[in-house]
Amino acid sequence: MATTHTLLSPAELNYLHTSLSLRPPIRSDGRLPTQFRPLTAETGILQGTNGSACVTFSDGAEAIVGVKAEIEKTPDAQSGDEDKGKKARGDWVEISVEIPSQRDDDAGTIFLGEMLREALLGDGEFAKKLWINRRFHWRLHIDILLLSPALSYPLPLLSLTTHLALLATRLPKLKSEGDEDPMFDDDWESSVFVYPREGASEGTRPPITLLVVTVGDNVIFDPSKEELAVAETALAVSVAEVRREKSRGEMEVDTKGRELKLLSIRTIDPPSRLTPPGVPNGTATATDGKPASNLASETPVAGVWKAPLGGTKFSVVDGIVQAVLEKGGVADEVLDGLDGVELA
Amino acid sequence: MPLDTSTYSLALLRVDGRRWNELRRLHAQIRIQAAADGSSYLEMGNTKVMCVLTGPSEAQQQQQGQRRGQATAGGGKNASINVSIVVAGFASVDHKKRGRNDKRTQELELTIAKTFASVVHTHLFPNSSISLALHVLSADGSLLAALLNAATLALIDAGIPMSDYIAACTAGSTSSYAAADDSADPLLDLNTQEEQELPFITVATLGETDRVAVLNCESRVQVSRLEGMLAVAVDGCKEVKQLLDKAIKAKGAKMIREGAAEKSDAMAMDLDE
Repeated sequence: MATTHTLLSPAELNYLHTSLSLRPPIRSDGRLPTQFRPLTAETGILQGTNGSACVTFSDGAEAIVGVKAEIEKTPDAQSGDEDKGKKARGDWVEISVEIPSQRDDDAGTIFLGEMLREALLGDGEFAKKLWINRRFHWRLHIDILLLSPALSYPLPLLSLTTHLALLATRLPKLKSEGDEDPMFDDDWESSVFVYPREGASEGTRPPITLLVVTVGDNVIFDPSKEELAVAETALAVSVAEVRREKSRGEMEVDTKGRELKLLSIRTIDPPSRLTPPGVPNGTATATDGKPASNLASETPVAGVWKAPLGGTKFSVVDGIVQAVLEKGGVADEVLDGLDGVELA
Repeated sequence: MPLDTSTYSLALLRVDGRRWNELRRLHAQIRIQAAADGSSYLEMGNTKVMCVLTGPSEAQQQQQGQRRGQATAGGGKNASINVSIVVAGFASVDHKKRGRNDKRTQELELTIAKTFASVVHTHLFPNSSISLALHVLSADGSLLAALLNAATLALIDAGIPMSDYIAACTAGSTSSYAAADDSADPLLDLNTQEEQELPFITVATLGETDRVAVLNCESRVQVSRLEGMLAVAVDGCKEVKQLLDKAIKAKGAKMIREGAAEKSDAMAMDLDE
C-alpha cells in the first residue's frame, strides 16, 4: 500500500488512534462509524464501450470504468460433452487497473485487480453470462482507471464504479440459434443487459467490495487516509446481492429487502504497520543516551504511539460480517444508494 | 479498413461531412476535479482526453519517475515537467492494451514534456516538479494535438505562469503519398480514418502567433504539399486557441458570478454577456 503515505507524527497518530478507539468512535470528519462519504455517480458516459460508469467521492477521488466485449472462439469446442450445457471459464474476463504514477506491474495494483476479480468470479455465475454457444463466447475487458491522484486506498471507489459499469453493460441481442456462427441484432436499442433489470432477473448481482478497518474493538467503514494510517487491521469485504425467483404463491410484501451473500474477506496490510513509534518521555534518548534497542522490548506506554502488531480478533471479524450483512446494514445502505443511479 | 477518400473530389466533402478547413466540435472544460491542483477535460470530435495536474511540488520522485518510464523535461534549477499518458483499453474501437513502456506513448510523453518545459516559466519554481497525468478516454485522431491542448488548459487552471497558450491541431493532405496528385487540397483536423490513410502533420503554435512550438510528422509527405499543410495547421491552431480561451473565460466568469473568485479592478471583461 505504497499509495497511502501519510506524513503524521507519532503524536498525531496517537491522537487519531485514541479518538477512534473511544466508544462510540469520534472520526476526524465527523462521520458515524458506518457512514460512507457522499458520492456522485454516472453511467453510460463512454460511447465506445458496452457499459461504463464514473464515480466521484466527495474528497475528489474519481474513477472511470469501461467494459468492452469481444467475440472469441472457444478452444477445443469439439470435446463433445453434450451433458455439460454451459462450460464457462473465469479467464473470459480480464480486469486491468490503472493508477497514475504507479507502474502497471506494481504489486499493490495487481492485488487490487485480483481482489475485484475474485469477488466478481467467485461463484462462477458471471462467466456463464458470457457463454454464447459451444463454439463462441464473449471476452469481457474491464478497464478500471483511477483519474485523481491516489488519495486513500482506492479499493471501495474502484469496486463501486465497477459495480455500476457492470450493471450498465449491454451485449447485442443474439439472432442466430444453436452452435452456428453467432449473428447479432444490430439495433442497440434491443440489446440485452448482462445483469437484467428488476423483475425477471435471478441470480447473483455484481459484487461490491467494502473497506473496513478496526481500531480497538471499533469497526469503521470507508476509512479516510488518516484513519487508515492508524488502523489495527484493514479488511476488504466483498458482498453481492442474490436474487431468487419468486415462487408464484409468495406475496410481494414478504420478499422486500435483499438477500446478501458474503463472497470474500481479505486482509490488507495497513500502512500503520510502517509508522514510526513515539518515544516515551522517560526514555528520551537525547538526554541519557540509552540504545534504541531497549525501547522496542518495552511494554506500550499509554499515550505513546506504537505501530499495531498481530491479527484481528475473531469477535471483531464476526462483528464486521454482522454489520455488513444485517438488514439495513452497510451493504444494504450502499446498494440502496447505488440503485438510485440511473442506468443509461 | 482502408478508406476510399477518392470521393472527396466529387463534392469536396470529407467522410464525416466536413469541408477541408473545418475543425471538429471542440469542447473544453477546466477545474473538473476538486482534489487536483489543475485539471481539464477536452473533446475534439470523438477524441476525449483528460488532464490532471499535480504540482508544483517538491521534486523527490524525479528519479523514480525516470524508472517508471515517464518523460521528464527540465530539472535542476528549474522545475521539471513529468508527463505520463494512460491510454485506456476502451479508447479505440478494438480493445487494445497499451503498456506504460509503449514506445509511441513514450514519444508522445517526451514531446509534451519538452514543449511545456520551453513555455512554462519553470525558473520560478526551482527544484520542484510539475506532474501531468493525461488520460485518453477515447481516441479518434489528432491525439497529440488534443493532449497538448488539454495540458495547456490544466496548467492554466493550476495558475502556473507560462508565456502563452500552446494550441495544437493536425493538418493532412487529400491524396496519399503514392498518388502524385498535384491538385491535392490540405485538410484540417483529421480523424482516425483519415489519419490511417493520408499524410498528416501535428502542429502546435504559441498562442495566436505564427511561432511553431511542435511540428510532428509520422508519415511520408511530398515536400511540395508541406507548406500548404503547415499554413492550414497554423490557421487551425489560431482557431483552437480562441476556443480554449473562450472555455477559460467562461469558467472564470462563472467563478466570479458564483463568488468563488473576486473580480479585479483591472479586468476589462464584461461578465453580463
